Amino acid sequence: MRRLQQTITSSSFPLKRRSLCPPTVHFAHRTTTAGLYEMHQRPEPHFSPHRSSPPPYLRYSSSSAAPLKSRLPSDFLSILQRNHPNLKISLNKYELDSHGRGESHHPVSPPDAVLYPSSVEEIQDILRLCCREVYREGDGDVPTVEIVSVIPYGAGTSLEGHLSFLLPQDDSVVRNNDIVEIPSSLFESNSGDSQLWENEKKRVRIKRKGGISIDMSNFQSIGELTPGDGFIKVGAGVTRNSLNDALRHTGMQFMIDPGADATLGGMTACGASGTAAVKYQTMRENVLGLTAVLPPQTIASASNDAGIGLKKPRAVTCGSNALKNSAGYNLPGLFVGSEGTLGVITDVTVKIYPVPSHVIAASCTFEDLHTAAEAVTTIRVLGIPVSRIELLDKMSIRAFNQSVKNEELKPMDEKATLFFEFAGHSESSVMADLSAARAVCVDDFEGSNFVSATDETTRSKVWAARHRLYYSSIALRGGGDDDGNGATSQSTIVTDVCVPFSSFADIVSATAEDLRDMGVFGTVFGHCGDGNYHAILPLRSDDTEEYKDKVFKVIELMTERAISVGGSVTGEHGVGYGKKKFLEQMYGAAGVSLMQTIKTSIDPWCIMNPGKIVDVDLGLGAIK
Amino acid sequence: MRKILVPIKRVIDYAQKIRVDPSKGAQGVQLKNVKMSMNPFCEIAVEEAIQLKEQNKGAEVVAISVGPKQCTETIRTALAMGADRGIHIETKPDVRGDYIDLQPWAIATLLKGVVEKEDAVDLVLLGKQSIDSDCGQTGPLLAGLLNAPQATFAANIERGDDGSFTVERETDTGTETIKLNASGKPAVITCDLRLNTPRYPTMPNIMKAKKKPVETISLEDMVKELGLDLDEVLTPKNEVVEVYEPPPRKEGETVGSIDELLGKLKEKGLVA
Repeated sequence: MRRLQQTITSSSFPLKRRSLCPPTVHFAHRTTTAGLYEMHQRPEPHFSPHRSSPPPYLRYSSSSAAPLKSRLPSDFLSILQRNHPNLKISLNKYELDSHGRGESHHPVSPPDAVLYPSSVEEIQDILRLCCREVYREGDGDVPTVEIVSVIPYGAGTSLEGHLSFLLPQDDSVVRNNDIVEIPSSLFESNSGDSQLWENEKKRVRIKRKGGISIDMSNFQSIGELTPGDGFIKVGAGVTRNSLNDALRHTGMQFMIDPGADATLGGMTACGASGTAAVKYQTMRENVLGLTAVLPPQTIASASNDAGIGLKKPRAVTCGSNALKNSAGYNLPGLFVGSEGTLGVITDVTVKIYPVPSHVIAASCTFEDLHTAAEAVTTIRVLGIPVSRIELLDKMSIRAFNQSVKNEELKPMDEKATLFFEFAGHSESSVMADLSAARAVCVDDFEGSNFVSATDETTRSKVWAARHRLYYSSIALRGGGDDDGNGATSQSTIVTDVCVPFSSFADIVSATAEDLRDMGVFGTVFGHCGDGNYHAILPLRSDDTEEYKDKVFKVIELMTERAISVGGSVTGEHGVGYGKKKFLEQMYGAAGVSLMQTIKTSIDPWCIMNPGKIVDVDLGLGAIK
Repeated sequence: MRKILVPIKRVIDYAQKIRVDPSKGAQGVQLKNVKMSMNPFCEIAVEEAIQLKEQNKGAEVVAISVGPKQCTETIRTALAMGADRGIHIETKPDVRGDYIDLQPWAIATLLKGVVEKEDAVDLVLLGKQSIDSDCGQTGPLLAGLLNAPQATFAANIERGDDGSFTVERETDTGTETIKLNASGKPAVITCDLRLNTPRYPTMPNIMKAKKKPVETISLEDMVKELGLDLDEVLTPKNEVVEVYEPPPRKEGETVGSIDELLGKLKEKGLVA
């Protein structure tokens, strides 16, 4: 089924990893998120008024934002094709478009080519070509360093614009024709050219020449699982659902559930987590090892034929299969959450866990959001084991009630609601957890209507409001039926923060109040067991500037409060380019500067996903 | 209910890319070092058998498979899902199950013998087809050989108190409901995709499955025991002449406008 998909999408509008068959095998203990991003048809992109720092030429997002003509160096693709005739390269307008977009409101900014390597060697050669010193016509005796941006691509489910190339559509350069001085240590010595290295600096021009997307879908290996082991090694292009499908008869599963069917490489790069984090934690704690191809640290001088044959960019395998490892620097940790800025991850070794034998789902309503949030923090502080715990505000329930049409589902009480899942190895232990949680909710926090269910069908019904939250929230602002101005997933902002338990109840209610007081439509829900909550804010194309200002004000207040209690401006979605400005408030100038040091020492030519997480100056501070 | 027999087949895992070596002629599909799993429709049949067992206390689910020695692992998966015991009719390693050597007629003949030997079989649940040969014949052939009532492509199965089975069948024109009356013969039902969602076995069940009994008997011995002719069973009724990969899909043409599109369609004689 998957390979059938590949041949169909190669020359037509790409379907984002959508299964063409009706769902067959799923979890028997049916973990309850059917998916924040269920299989759907991609609608036409709408005007997306994002307020962070994309340059002016990105404000308008057309149905195909592909560059007008290729910005790549003229010989880039031909050199690659000559040395790797089997490497698939696509220039198809729709593939470029799809590889420059994620699943969010961030504007689309596509690459000039999509490459589909199948081996580490191919990636090494590709990265080698992405920074080169050449002599072009009219340069005189000052060579040009041409830099091609690289963004690795998994399943394209990014929520913070990680896949945007942030490049102008035409061939304009980021650096102009100025000659700059770069430390010679960034250039490899060419045989016999020892004169160059007497000076500490070398004079060059630097030009950004477009971008390429490295699609990792050929990295589909799934390692053999040795019975008794709790880890498995997979290629970066393997999606989590296909990994779990391959594991379906082993009694073990990969437990991190971000909603979307993301690839393991992408989940590693963005530090993914989700509803299961309260029990199984996040990618940071679940990645035991990985292999990554690093960007080149030095480039060859112009006289060499494209630098191939000289030092290849290194491929590093780091980490260990052991659950505990205190040998040396935490290299896998460096890559988790690096958002494609430090290298191309080619395979990951992740932890897997036994499928629980007994699962119970439950829900409980509360008078207000603050009380519900307090109930959660009490449950956590008391150490009552939960396998999932989600908080939905009144508006979320209203969205669900509006979405229920002629089904077996019943509308719920329009109040703040907690959704639970308890799982364990024995029925008695799971029942004990359930009773303890129920006691807290009902006796201590006046919760009402505490329902629970053990069989899969009823459990899905209990959690229905949470399952369809994303789309029902968008539908709150008229998706579909009206004149085409209604909100869609392209025009919906989903943002999140994470705060310590002691401030969670206050901060999450404050956001819900902001929405009410400022008249902004949106739902607030959270993986409250971790102090993490999201706001889904759908926008319509006929919204006034005033309204959009209010939406961004809500987000600003959310992030400021999170920072003020020492929390995080993003619990799950990552920084991308939209949240870069908050990093200094969170970590201070020294923290950000250390991140810049790491970035420049691993990727001195800044080819990897430039403009994300931190800004760097080429030349290590020597030029602005 | 007494016994439910579930024949299962070990095939190339459905997510694997199939490789064909045309120089090998009919034996072209590569089986070496390829991941093998239980046929997905057989998984659905096993799941249905377990669900029926759970509803009818005292029923015994027997999984049976014909194939090389690794089939025991496939049977263990069925046991981990909840089957009670297994029967493995072991073939020599070079005997191919993907229609080259063993074909539905041979399997159905063997299964008929097993059903009669086991006695007290109320229901035989099979997948509607296997994903390597796509024949879909084993169930109907078995019903014919047994002179038993059958229903294929089941999307829903309900058992009546009188031992009858009411089956909803999915067809291209809609859903058809058939009642298989209790007849003294086992009902033969083949299972389709939407019948159920097979459970993922948990670790404790996988460990328990290791201790459940699996009777292994060689194909030759089973044939002798059932009083059949080995040549009859092993000589395929149909001969596979050629195996080849479908031709790769050609790139489409991009057109600039609707008029151009219509022009091209007319050119190719696709519209008048």
